[in-house]
Amino acid sequence: MAAIRSVSRRQVLKGAAAITSAGLAELPLGGAAQSKGKIVVGTWGGDYARLLHKNIEPILINDGWEVIQDQANDPERRSKMLAERRLPRGTTDIQGLSALGMFQMHDAGVIDAIDYGKLKNAPNLLPSMKYPYGVGHIYSGKVGVYNPRLVDPAPKSYKEIFDPKRGDKLGIIDIQYQYTLVCAALAAGGKVDDLEPGKKLLLACKKAGARIYPTNEAFAQGLKTEEFGTGVMWKARVVQWQNAGISVEAIVPAEGALAYVSGFVIPKNAPDKPGSYAYLDAMLEKGAQEAFAIDMGYNPTVTNAVVAPELNKRIGFTPEEVKALVDLDYGYMTQNDVALKEWWDKELKG
Amino acid sequence: MVGQGAERLSLERPARRLANEARGGSLLMASTLLAPATLMVALGLLLPILILLRYSFNKFDPRLMMVEAVTLENYVKFFTDPFYTNVFWTTLRVALLCTLVCLVLAFPLAYVLARSESRYKNVVLMLVVLPLFVGNAVRAAGWMTLFGSKGALNAALFELGVINVPLQIMFTEKAVVIGIIAVNLPYVVLTLQSVLEGIPRQTEEAAFSLGAGPWTMCRRVLLPLALPGIVVGAILCFILAMNAYATPVLLGGPQFKMMGPLVYGQFRLNNWPFGAAVAFVLMTATLVLTGAANLLVQQRYRRRRSP
Repeated sequence: MAAIRSVSRRQVLKGAAAITSAGLAELPLGGAAQSKGKIVVGTWGGDYARLLHKNIEPILINDGWEVIQDQANDPERRSKMLAERRLPRGTTDIQGLSALGMFQMHDAGVIDAIDYGKLKNAPNLLPSMKYPYGVGHIYSGKVGVYNPRLVDPAPKSYKEIFDPKRGDKLGIIDIQYQYTLVCAALAAGGKVDDLEPGKKLLLACKKAGARIYPTNEAFAQGLKTEEFGTGVMWKARVVQWQNAGISVEAIVPAEGALAYVSGFVIPKNAPDKPGSYAYLDAMLEKGAQEAFAIDMGYNPTVTNAVVAPELNKRIGFTPEEVKALVDLDYGYMTQNDVALKEWWDKELKG
Repeated sequence: MVGQGAERLSLERPARRLANEARGGSLLMASTLLAPATLMVALGLLLPILILLRYSFNKFDPRLMMVEAVTLENYVKFFTDPFYTNVFWTTLRVALLCTLVCLVLAFPLAYVLARSESRYKNVVLMLVVLPLFVGNAVRAAGWMTLFGSKGALNAALFELGVINVPLQIMFTEKAVVIGIIAVNLPYVVLTLQSVLEGIPRQTEEAAFSLGAGPWTMCRRVLLPLALPGIVVGAILCFILAMNAYATPVLLGGPQFKMMGPLVYGQFRLNNWPFGAAVAFVLMTATLVLTGAANLLVQQRYRRRRSP
């Protein structure tokens, strides 16, 4: 027994020594001290994360920053921000969210007001992308999509798309319930804060045979196999589908396209705020913004980015169309999101 | 006599002490070995479950996400809304159907595998396990290409002139049941096979030699002996089916609802209290049903074994 005890004591000592030396090795000594710091970015996974890595992070790395991505879906990251609200130091320096998500975090009081004076590239930013609590990174609009082989003449408005006469030739995306409800409301003469006419119209379309697809990808698949001929989707996605060889065209609806903005916010308890601002500036760099237009089909939010005319025709909006872009009523959507989803699940899909 | 007895006692004492010490030592050893697993379960499973249980009594607020409270409203909402109770019954129906079909399909295959003396037995076993190498979502994607309105199945039937309008299989309960059966079947086959292998071939031969036909032998000898294994396989299959996520989402489509996707959907909406309540309803139902089935079969098994 004595022998066993002495071995374990020795092992404890050895273990403690190992932990101490490992700890020392972790300390920022020598080369690491030259780093400006570590920026932790909350972002969606997949393409968006890959393109942040490809187009934005090199600018920061060359400037001496270390960038780490914290990838998860939008709701999970918003929950995390709310859960961390009481911590003096949060775990992320900057978070990528949709405009609605940005508003919700602002409303919950967990993000900083943006000091645009600290951003070198702020003068180039489109005024509509300067949220008091967040910075727009890319934008697109909910356009009408149709397969010219099945739908002729081309629809001109949300009203002509969400028409019960289309029967089973109308496709709807389940995960896009918020935007679909607002588009239908606009089609039925409602407003962004009065979706009741939209609900009635959607029920009529459903009764006439409209098809509901679970995801964007399933919708694309249905479009490709010609199960249906028309619906609504982000213009950026339409470009990606055209590139994949799907017969699909986009129209900007007469009611004005519903805008989708993706941007970044700074949590109040971000550990490295200079890093947060450095990231915002890098994302507004001309080159990074142009690369996102090419790689992802979303529009730049800065005026100095140059998009080739051919690409701009496919992804862009004319100045009139930009002016006519319709924004969600963020407060209304936040307050009613769960009720809208319940209506969607029970009444529309039930 | 007395002296001898005392001598024996004095000799026995150290031996017993040693034995006792050894037993104490092994007990200590065993508890040391069990500690990591116990800690993992306690910290990684029980603690989160308790936290989730607490959440299920909270209130939801669209702006603040979750407000501390002690209310049963989430459970009341679930049990009083026919939409949610329908989701529950659909889940139960699908899980029971899948379990039944899996048992019927798996038993003959497991029996052949258990009794096989072929040198290719391991190859066949590997073939049974092979689908488990691929994730559920990937397998569901495979079914999607097969079941789609222009998928392989419809195209083949169309070309053969069997149908002239495509069969609607995708986004139906049928597709989900087929998908879940395909996912769960290997588990049931493997469980049954290992149990059947433990039943000596001689018991079957004894039944035959006493004049039983194959069916009688199966009913009176094989099935009762395999019953504990059948129960384990059925419980495994039932639990997996009750909690299925990827298959119902991908093959069932947006209009088909099961409990697993419903739980996730509520968390996505940031409605943690209701999501937690639905998760608890699902967990409790699964536990109660499997526990009840186990108890019922055990009682029957005991009755049969007792003379």
